[in-house]
Formats: sequence, structure tokens, C-alpha cells
Amino acid sequence: MDLKGIANNPMNKFFESERKRFFEPDAFFTQRVMAQLDSAKKVARGQDFGFWDIVPSSTRPVLALAVMLILCFVIVEMFIPQYPQRGMVESFLEPEQSPTESILYTDIDVPSQDLLQQLIEPED
Amino acid sequence: MDFDRELIVRAQAGDRSAHETIVNQYSAMVFRLVSRFFRNREDVEDIAQDVFLKLFARIDQVRPDENFPGWLARVTVNTCYDELRKTRRRKEAIETYGPEIAGGQTVAPREPDSLGRARQALQRLDAKLRIPLVLKEVEEMSVEEIAKTMGLTQTNVKVRLFRARKKLQAMLGGPEGDSQ
Repeated sequence: MDLKGIANNPMNKFFESERKRFFEPDAFFTQRVMAQLDSAKKVARGQDFGFWDIVPSSTRPVLALAVMLILCFVIVEMFIPQYPQRGMVESFLEPEQSPTESILYTDIDVPSQDLLQQLIEPED
Repeated sequence: MDFDRELIVRAQAGDRSAHETIVNQYSAMVFRLVSRFFRNREDVEDIAQDVFLKLFARIDQVRPDENFPGWLARVTVNTCYDELRKTRRRKEAIETYGPEIAGGQTVAPREPDSLGRARQALQRLDAKLRIPLVLKEVEEMSVEEIAKTMGLTQTNVKVRLFRARKKLQAMLGGPEGDSQ
């Protein structure tokens, strides 16, 4: 069963026309393949992507400044000792507080056992 | 052959200029082979690019003393086969679930000429029958070459060619079709 052996077979003409029909690569085909290959390699080496590679270049200075300010703030916070918070209510009540009450309400250090005993005892 | 061997060794070592030389040297062959199965230039170009990306991803599997053009032809034909199967599935999905023409009226297609009928008949063939037939009749490959390219036995290729021809004749109303 050979198609060539069949008289007036439209497939013969079709195959002949198909032999002449083919596309050729344009002048930039190689460049496009190489560009795709480079990007595929970059994706494959995911670990080579740093933090700055995913940030658009126009926003890098702003982001760098923001990161630096956040770091400075964190460092300063680490070195400045923490004081108990003093809000408006504490400021208003301060004149009426005895030193022992002040220790109870505002001091972050744990008072000694004697002082605690003294505070617990009922006043005369 | 020596040139190919050296080129493959360099490409396997990751030499960018070797990759570029391979694309330059073999892109015409890949384009011609892909053109046998696809009629749209954009499709041909996309598939040819895909072939080279697959080639460089698996370049380590190529033995330098192997017939490199044959290996590349095999990658090309396999890529075309995958794409034809995908296209067929998409077409079936569109035919099954696609929007119906308003009012149920269809536009009668223009009666194709003999070449058009032949093209339509070939496109209706399953990819596993169509590919060996096109390689035989258009690329004028021998059964042995087709077997190597498609990774089949020669007997299997002959069976597929026989079935493809029989189906085509039935579709085009040849001796097989007339007798029914």
C-alpha cells in the first residue's frame, strides 16, 4: 500500500508541496535562544538571587535608607535602659504617692522581702 | 564529526560560545523538521526554542561520539509529538465545551480543494501515525532512520506507516474508502 503507486492521489501532490514548505530561522533567533537560556540558568540557580535582585533598582536607595534607619532604631533601643512607663495618670497621682507606693506602681525592680512585708502590713 | 565531538564536550562544560555555535549550526535543521508538523511561523519558532532549551538542559546525556544531529532530531520529533498531543486535546476541549454558535446556525465551510482535503485528512490523523508518515513521505527518511528518531522498532514503524496510509485512503475516498 504505497501512496505513490495510487494514480491521482491528492496526497502525492500534497507531500510534494509540503517538501517545499518550511520556515527558516531569522537573524535574531540565536540571540533569543541564548537570552532564554541565560534566564533559565538564572532561575535554576535560585540561590544566587540575593535580596537586592528582587528589588527594582529605582527603589533600592529608599529601601536601603529605610533598612538603615530601622537598624539604627533597634540598636539604640538595645542600649538605652528601659524605664517604667509613665503615662498621664501616673504623673497626676505622683504627688499623692508615698515612696513605698511609688515602688509598687512604677518600679520595675522587685522590692526586698522586708519592704514587701512592710507594705503588706495594715497601717495603723 | 570531530568538530561535533569537540563542540559537545565544550557545551557540556558550560561554554556559552559552544551553545551559541550549536544553535547557529542546527537551527535551520530544527526549523525544517518542526515546519513539517506546524504551519504557523510563531508556533515553529516557539517549538524550536523549546527544543534548544531541552537540548541544553540534557546536554550531559549526549555522548560525544554519538550521532549528534540524530539525537537532536529525536529531541525535536519528541517535542513536536508532545505539542501535537496538547494541541489535539485543546481542540477536542474547544469542540466539546466551546461556545455554541448563536441560534444553532453554522456557517458552511468553503469546500476545500484537493490539497486542502489532503491537509485536513493528515491533520485528523493521530500524532503517533502522522509523525512517521510525514517523516517518510516529506522528510524522505528511511524506516531505519524513523525508528531511530522515534525510538521505535522498525517493525513498529512499518505497522504505523501501514495504518496511517490505510486511514488516509479511507478519509480521502481511495480504494479502501470506495469499497465500503
